[in-house]
Amino acid sequence: MNVERGKINVTQLFFCVTGFVEGSVLLVNFAVDMTKSQTWMAVLASIAVAIPVIYSYVALATRFPGLNVIQINDIVYGPILGKLISLYYIFFFALTFSFNNRDIGELYKTFIMPDAPMIFFLAAFAVTCAYAVHKGLEPLARVSHIIVAISFTVMLLIFLLLIDIMDFSNFLPLFDVPLISLIHSVHVITAIPFCESIAFLMIFGSLDKTEKAAKYVIWGLISGGFILLNVAVRNTAVLGNTETIWTSPSFESTRLIDIGTVLTRMDLLIGVIQTILIFFKASLLLYALATSVAQILGLKSYLPILLPLTAIEVILSATVYQSPVDHAMTTQNAGIFYSTPLLYFTPAITLLIAVIRKLPKSKRRKRS
Amino acid sequence: MIYVLTIYTLVAIINLPPLIKNGQKRELFAFIAFFIVAFVLSLLYAMDIEIPSPMEGLKYLIEDFMGLKYPEPK
Repeated sequence: MNVERGKINVTQLFFCVTGFVEGSVLLVNFAVDMTKSQTWMAVLASIAVAIPVIYSYVALATRFPGLNVIQINDIVYGPILGKLISLYYIFFFALTFSFNNRDIGELYKTFIMPDAPMIFFLAAFAVTCAYAVHKGLEPLARVSHIIVAISFTVMLLIFLLLIDIMDFSNFLPLFDVPLISLIHSVHVITAIPFCESIAFLMIFGSLDKTEKAAKYVIWGLISGGFILLNVAVRNTAVLGNTETIWTSPSFESTRLIDIGTVLTRMDLLIGVIQTILIFFKASLLLYALATSVAQILGLKSYLPILLPLTAIEVILSATVYQSPVDHAMTTQNAGIFYSTPLLYFTPAITLLIAVIRKLPKSKRRKRS
Repeated sequence: MIYVLTIYTLVAIINLPPLIKNGQKRELFAFIAFFIVAFVLSLLYAMDIEIPSPMEGLKYLIEDFMGLKYPEPK
């Protein structure tokens, strides 16, 4: 039995995927150390790498309509191995939510309220996400298009306001990045903004028409990727080589907006839009975490465990990294390697086994 | 410390009665288990006792033990 009874449609799914990918827009910075002014190239390459990977998620969900990944693992691998693999998913959801919560804490602590204790931001943000998750998947999906529309407008506006100080010679010389750095950068961008959408394996089961999901998910991924590309291009064109020295190039580039000394300090817009986008992404991750834990424990609803799980996540977020530098350094290696088997191979292998074992069997019986 | 105790008492007061009243034993046990873990972690954090990060363990396993690490960017 699925713990979620609400249904969402494919258009809402498109906006959810776009908003989810956009939620990682700050994390493009992690790739700047490796590819510097060529980060835009890494973003484009990452979209190309992510499309087949994410298609494997949708193909798996389409083969098992109405089921979430925990149920699929039980069917494909059996109750014991299936649950072990499901624990890997849960571990990933738990850590990823804590990273996103930490991102918000660091954002506010570094740029907005440096004197306030970080635990306050972590707790306030996590409880807000828990409130959204408590309302269920449908309300979250219903606001997705508003979030995407606002973020798209703000990103476009910032780009246009910065056009006069952009220097496109900052992108030169082209193709001077070592191959290993480009691979590293693509690995970071593919894993974090794009493949974290593996959390949708807990959501695809709530689609009203799962068979139509592929097209909408891929377009959602491309739309979100376009925003990441816009941010990578904007930061390089505005900041040039100095891009690598800032904690948040997006904040620094937006601070340079000065239209007749009236329109200044627009970095506040970045703070607001980041909060909204990370809220949306973190809520979907918390939803995936709560439903997956409830599903593996065989609960009828995820609501009773939502608040205790959120509290554990707050402490995890507070202790997971020592500092923003530790956050960036760890993410660039251990942070992407630990999830690589899960993000790139596990759904594809599950799908392959399901095809070989001709699963799900009940579907075949109905057809015959 | 006082905040932790207040918040957790409130969470227990809000969540426990409906679970006991409806006889949802499995949900009740799951809630209590996670509640205890969360409460202990919060208490340790409030008392400034160091809680080990799972990323430290993963970092050791992946970077030091398995040697999976990209070269430092130039």
